[in-house]
Amino acid sequence: MKRTFLGEFEEVLLLTVAILGEEAYGVTVTQELEQKTGRVVGFSTVHTTLQRLEEKGFLSSEMGGATAERGGRRKRFFTITAFGRKALREVKEVREELWGSLPPETLQLMGI
Amino acid sequence: MSANNPKSGLAPNRPPAWAAKLLNWFADPNSLEEVEGDLLEMYAYWIKTVGHRKAMWRYVLSVFKLLRPFAKQKRSKDYPEIYLFSLDMIRNYFKIAFRTLVHSKVYSAINVIGLSIGLAAAMLIMLYAKDEVSYDRFHANNPNIYRITFSSFTPKGVLEGQQGNTGYLQGPKFTANVPEIQFFARYREHTNDMKLGTSVKSQEIFQTDPDFFSIFSFSMLSGNPKTALKDPRSVVLSEDMAMKQFGTTDALGKIVLMRDPFDENAKFEPFTVTGVTKKSPQNSTIKFEVLVPLVVKQEEMNDNENWFNTNLNTFVVVRPDANIKTTESKMNRFYAADSKEAGDILAKKYNFRSIRKYALQPFTDIHLSKELNASNGLMDGSNPMFSYILSGIAVFILLIACINFVNLTVARSLKRAKEIGVRKVVGGGRFQLIFQFLGESFVLCFASFSCALLLVIAVLPTFNQLANKALALSYLFDAKLVMAYFLLFLATGLLAGFYPAMVLSGYSPVQTLYNRFNLSGKNYLQKSLVVLQFAIASFLIVATITIQSQFNYLTSKSLGYEDKNVISVDKANLTRAEYQVLKTELLRNSNILDIAPKNGGRWGTKAKINGDKEIDFTYETVDASYLPLLKIPIVNGRNFASDHPTDSTQSVLVNEAFVKKAGFKKPVGELLDFWYNNEKYLIVGVVKDFHYTALNEEIGPEVFTMKPANQYGKALIKIKPGSETASIHYIETTFRKLFPLQPYEYKFLEQENKKNYESEAKWKQIMLFGALLTIFISCIGLFGVATLSAERRTKEVGIRKVLGASVASIMTLLSSDFLKLVVISFIISFPIAFYAIGKWLENYPYRIEISAWTFVISALLAVMVAFLTVSFQSVRTALMNPVSSLKSE
Repeated sequence: MKRTFLGEFEEVLLLTVAILGEEAYGVTVTQELEQKTGRVVGFSTVHTTLQRLEEKGFLSSEMGGATAERGGRRKRFFTITAFGRKALREVKEVREELWGSLPPETLQLMGI
Repeated sequence: MSANNPKSGLAPNRPPAWAAKLLNWFADPNSLEEVEGDLLEMYAYWIKTVGHRKAMWRYVLSVFKLLRPFAKQKRSKDYPEIYLFSLDMIRNYFKIAFRTLVHSKVYSAINVIGLSIGLAAAMLIMLYAKDEVSYDRFHANNPNIYRITFSSFTPKGVLEGQQGNTGYLQGPKFTANVPEIQFFARYREHTNDMKLGTSVKSQEIFQTDPDFFSIFSFSMLSGNPKTALKDPRSVVLSEDMAMKQFGTTDALGKIVLMRDPFDENAKFEPFTVTGVTKKSPQNSTIKFEVLVPLVVKQEEMNDNENWFNTNLNTFVVVRPDANIKTTESKMNRFYAADSKEAGDILAKKYNFRSIRKYALQPFTDIHLSKELNASNGLMDGSNPMFSYILSGIAVFILLIACINFVNLTVARSLKRAKEIGVRKVVGGGRFQLIFQFLGESFVLCFASFSCALLLVIAVLPTFNQLANKALALSYLFDAKLVMAYFLLFLATGLLAGFYPAMVLSGYSPVQTLYNRFNLSGKNYLQKSLVVLQFAIASFLIVATITIQSQFNYLTSKSLGYEDKNVISVDKANLTRAEYQVLKTELLRNSNILDIAPKNGGRWGTKAKINGDKEIDFTYETVDASYLPLLKIPIVNGRNFASDHPTDSTQSVLVNEAFVKKAGFKKPVGELLDFWYNNEKYLIVGVVKDFHYTALNEEIGPEVFTMKPANQYGKALIKIKPGSETASIHYIETTFRKLFPLQPYEYKFLEQENKKNYESEAKWKQIMLFGALLTIFISCIGLFGVATLSAERRTKEVGIRKVLGASVASIMTLLSSDFLKLVVISFIISFPIAFYAIGKWLENYPYRIEISAWTFVISALLAVMVAFLTVSFQSVRTALMNPVSSLKSE
C-alpha cells in the first residue's frame, strides 16, 4: 500500500484510541478528545470517524459484555491495529523529518 | 431494548422519547446497539457539563446526524461469502466440465452422438409440426375464411357421413341469401388440353369464381386481383407457368390456347392472361399453375337438383362479427326451403332420402382434417396421425439418448466419488455440486446441439422426401422455432443432467473417501433404464418387421389378374369407331399382343335386383377382350362374345362379390334393373373376384357392361415381354397419328399398381429409420454401461481367473447381466407391440397374420445386437492378464 493518508481529525482520533487503550469506545473517546484538546466535538462525528477508521483497517472493534448503566446495551470497544500503529508512526516520522529540516533561524523566529 | 428503559439509572434524566424512537427506527442497524448506549451515556455527561437544555439539543442533533434510513443489516462476516452464481465459480464449473469431458473421451462421444441424434430428430419433428400447423395461415382473411361442408343423415337421423364438397348452387345462393356471408369462391380441379408451342399437353387447371383473389391472399406479380377473373375467357398463370409458356413472367395480355378434353366437340379456344401470380406457398392447400373462371351454364344454375351435387369446394368469407352458429342455421333454413321441391323429385326418382345439414369448416382446419379433408383440387391433405407417430419416434429417440446420459454419468460416478468427497470436505455445498454437474450436462448438450444442427442440415433433403415436404433450411431460423429449440436445449440439459447431479451431490464424503467404498449396489435405476431403452427398441423392431411384411404382402399378393407387360393409354372420349381404328393400327405390329378398352377413371352406380333390393357396385365399361387380356377367369356362364350381338344392350357380367352380396343361388339368368333409366340387363357370366383397385380396399360388387352409350376412356395394351422400347415407340407414333390434338401419356399397369402403396413404403422407411436410430443409440449406451461395469469388476475377474475360471465362463458372467435386462424388456414391449400392430393392421382388409416369428426374430435381433455390444467389453476384460489387474491395491 502506498503511504497512508490520515486526516488531521482521524490522526487525533487514532491517537486518542491508542491512549485510552482497552477503554476506548464512543463515549470515552469523545470525552477524552474534549478534555485533551478542549474542542467540542459532536458525538456523531466521532462515531462516524471511528467506523471509517475501522473500515480502513486502522482500528478493529469488538463488542464488550452487557452493561448495567446503559440499559444493558453493550459497548463497542476499539483497539488500534498494527496497521494503525504503523500509520501513526509514519505520520510522526514525516512531522519530525519536517521539523528537523527547519533552518535554525526559522526555529528561533518561531520562538521554539 | 427501548431507549427509555426504566431500569436505567438515568431514568430521571431521560432524553426525549421521540428522538430515541427515531434513532431506534432509522439508525444503521449494524451499530444501533452501541450508538443507543453511547448516546445515553453522552446525554448524562452533557447534563452534568452543559445542563439539561443544551444536553437535549446535543442529543437531538446527534440523533439526526446518525440517522441512516437506508442502511441494511449486514450479514455475518465470520465466513467469506460464496455466491452460487459468482463468476469465478461459473467459470470453474465449465472448466471442470470441459476437463472431465476431454478426460473420458469415449463417454463424451457416446453422449454427444446419442444426444445429437436425439436432438436432431426432435428438431426435424418440430420443423415438421410447425409446417403442418402453418398451413393456410398466410391468408389475410383468416380466421373468417370457411369452407361449406355438410353432414348427411338418414330420415331417422342417423349420421351417414360428412362431405367437404358441394355443388354449383351453395356458393352463390348462400352468399345472396345469408347476410353474414360476404364473398364466395367455388374451386375445383380440371384437366385441360393446353397448347405449348406446337405440342398439346394435358394440364391440370383450376376453375374458380371472380372473388377468389378477394378471399385468398396470393400475391400477384402483375394484373388486377379484383378483375383478373371477371371475363370467362381470362386466365391467371403462376410465374413458373408463364415462364414455361412465354419464357417471361411479363405475360399480361398474351394468349393461351386451351380445350376441355371431356367435351367431344371442343376446339382450342384463346384465353387472355389477366394476371401472373407468385408461386403458391409451400404450406398452402390451394396451389395452382393455371386458374380460370368457373363457367356454369344458366340452366345448371336454375336446376335446383344441383343442390345435391358434390363436385367442388365452396369457400366463403364470413363477416368478422358474425356468429358462426347463427350463420349455419340461416344457411340450413334457406337450404331447406329452396331445395325442398328438387329434393322431393330426387326422392321419387332415385329414392334419395338423406337429409343434409350444412356447416362451416374453418379454412385452416382443412389440412389436418380426417373427415373433411382436402380433396377435389386441394393439395397436401395430411393425416395428423403422421405427425403423432413422427413425434412419438422423435420423443423415443431423445428419451433414449437422455437415458444414456443419466446411465453413463451415474455409472461413472464411482470414478468421481473421490472428487466429490474432496469437494465436500473442503466446503463445497450440495448446490454447488449440483451446479457443477448441470454445467457438465449443459456443455455436453451444447456440443450435441451444434452437432444436431449440422445433422439436420445434412438430412433435411432426405427428410423432405420421406415426409413429403419442401422444408427449407431457412425455416430453421424462425423466431418461434429458435425459441422452441432453445427450450429444447434447456429441457434436454436439465433432463439429462438433473438426476445424476442430484445423486452424485448426495454422496457422503466420509464414505467416498473411505478406501473400499463401493457404489455398485443394486442399481435398480440403471437397470430399469436399460430395460426401458430396449423395450422401446424392440417395439420399433417389431413394428418395422410388421410393416415390412405387410408391404411385401401388398406389393406381391396376386391381384387376380396379370398386370405384367400391360400398358395403359388414356384417351378421353374414346369412341367405339376411334377404338376400332386404334385397335387395327396397333395390332399390325407383332409386338402388340392384344388390346382392350375400358372406361376412364372409376365409375359406380346402382341397380335393383330381385325386384326391389338395391345394390351399389363398381361399374366397368369394357368389351369382350378385356377379361382375356388380363387373364381374369370366368367361373360361371360365359364372357361377352361377338356371336351374341345383343350382349351390348342386354347382358352384363358380375363378379363373385356381387353374387354373394345379392345372394343369388344361380346368378346366370338373373336380372339387373337400372330402374332410373328403364334398362334391364341379364347376367350372362360370373367373373372371378380380382382386385380392381388397391389392396387397401375390399373387393366389392362389380358389374361389367358393353353399353354403347358409355364412353371408353383408355386402352389397355398387352405387349410382348422384352419389347417395351419398340412397343412404346410404336404406340406413341400410332396415337399421335390418329389423335394429333390429344395429350399422350402411357403407364405400365404394374408400376401403377405399385404406386398405390407409396404411403406404406413411406411408413416402412420412417419406421426403419426410427428403429435403426433407436437401436444404435441404445447400443452405444449399453456399450458405455458395459464398459464401466467391466472396469469395475477387473479385480473380481482377476481373482476368478487366478482361481481357475475360463474365459468363456467369465464372458458369460459379464454378459448375462445385461442380456437378462434385454429379455425383461421384451416382456414389457411385446404385449404393447402386439396390440399396436394389431390395431394398425385392422386398417387393411387384406393383411398378414401377426405371426410369432415376428416376435422371435425381433427378440433374436435385439439379443444379438446387445450381445455383440456387451461382448466386446466382456472379451477384453476376460482376456486380461490377472497379474496386471491384481498387482496393485
